[in-house]
Amino acid sequence: MDLVEKATDPIIRFSGVHKRFGPKIIYSGLDLDVYPGEVLTIIGGSGVGKSVMLKLLLGLIRIDAGSITAFGEEVTTMAPGPLTGLRKRIAMLFQGGALFDSMTVAQNIKYPMLEHGWGDPASRIERVAEVLEMVGLPGVEHLYPAELSGGMRKRVGLGRAIAVQPDVILYDEPTTGLDPINIRRINGLIRSLQRRLGVTSIVVTHDMDSAFTVADRFAMVRDQHIGYTGTRAETEQSEIPWVREFVVGGKGVLDD
Amino acid sequence: MSQPAWQSWGIFAFFGHLGAMCLLSWRSTIALFRRPFERTALVEQLDTVGIGSIPVAVLTAVFVGMVMALQFSTALKSYGASLYTGSLVSEGLVKELAPVLTALLVGGRVASGMAAELGSMAVSEQIDAIRALGADPVKKLVVPRVLACLIAIPLLTLVADIVGCLGAQLIVMTEVGVTARFYWEQVIATIQIHDLFHGLGKSVFFGYFIAIIGCYQGMTTRGGTAGVGKATTVTVVWVSISILAADYLLTNLFLAL
Repeated sequence: MDLVEKATDPIIRFSGVHKRFGPKIIYSGLDLDVYPGEVLTIIGGSGVGKSVMLKLLLGLIRIDAGSITAFGEEVTTMAPGPLTGLRKRIAMLFQGGALFDSMTVAQNIKYPMLEHGWGDPASRIERVAEVLEMVGLPGVEHLYPAELSGGMRKRVGLGRAIAVQPDVILYDEPTTGLDPINIRRINGLIRSLQRRLGVTSIVVTHDMDSAFTVADRFAMVRDQHIGYTGTRAETEQSEIPWVREFVVGGKGVLDD
Repeated sequence: MSQPAWQSWGIFAFFGHLGAMCLLSWRSTIALFRRPFERTALVEQLDTVGIGSIPVAVLTAVFVGMVMALQFSTALKSYGASLYTGSLVSEGLVKELAPVLTALLVGGRVASGMAAELGSMAVSEQIDAIRALGADPVKKLVVPRVLACLIAIPLLTLVADIVGCLGAQLIVMTEVGVTARFYWEQVIATIQIHDLFHGLGKSVFFGYFIAIIGCYQGMTTRGGTAGVGKATTVTVVWVSISILAADYLLTNLFLAL
């Protein structure tokens, strides 16, 4: 299909994934490959279970059938030890930031470093400052999440996700509910992390403006599986009616 | 988590929750012995559960001691036995009323707080975030709370024992007209060490129920802020009923020992 795909082996592979929550079937036979260094955007209507895919990949939710591999290892049957190792390499930015309310910004960002035994106390403090600088929020170390705006919380959440230098970052609706300036800032961060650090990104979104700004490649969830994948150019010119509908209809709409 | 409809029928749901709470207990036991030990979190919880509950425990105990003394002194007067009020009240307090009422009052306060806090964390994906950042929420959140309750509830019960007897002393001295010395000699002669452990032993179990129910309800909260409210309410009901039911069973057991 596209150049990235042919050049390398996938870093993450979903194959034949089945998942249901009670009577509601989320995926039946979902296949998706993610290649190193790309920004893959997952689009699809509300409630089709786009974010579930991210949680399955991290082993936060168990699949019913199928296989998910990351860095060549099966995630779905992983023991707690290796799973912790995996979660060091794959970080996630949650929808609302999911910062720990009882901790300061600095403690939040230090959290994954302490869990993964990253660096010594001095270098951890240094890393907190560095990370906050990267997300454009220098000097907020001592604030509590309740003192931050929604956009700032998301950026601190992103800072926490990149603190231990993961290879892959999962973004769950990174721009939902943000003002245009913050949206541009988050989009910029996603791109610069990819360009500067070679981070692979999976972005779940229904903000098509943002999707077209950051994505190398698109995957669309439809009828409980990935119904379409294609590069940015292919997606823009797609003749498939329901892709077209989503792209045209979604453009210019910021949210929901 | 969603589930088949039959699982929401009373009896199935009951055993489902019971099983899930046993599993949570098992996982916290394993997590307890895995390093590192979460000392800061334990101290924080001891402060919230223990120190924070002292006023509730003391106020409950003092009034219960007083009212019991009032009732017994009046009732015993008709048998001409009001001098034994101190014996009866102190034994009732230490074996039954102090552990149960402390657990009910403190438990309602503490368990609903746990359910609300962990429930808010669950609905704002903070519990998922703990796992995603490479930590175990059971170790981080449940273990410190269970330990804190296992330690603090018996200690609060001991405080309630003493304060309850002091409250009763006030009434016995004024209503029956005995001296403080007479009252305390009588109390000390009545309360055997196994009476004390009868009450404190029960309170350890109550502490465990308070923490496990509060944590379980919190961790499994779904459905936004409304879900948090529901979890909190359910917690108070479950905690109260389990304490009263367990009290009956444990009393039977301890009396047989």
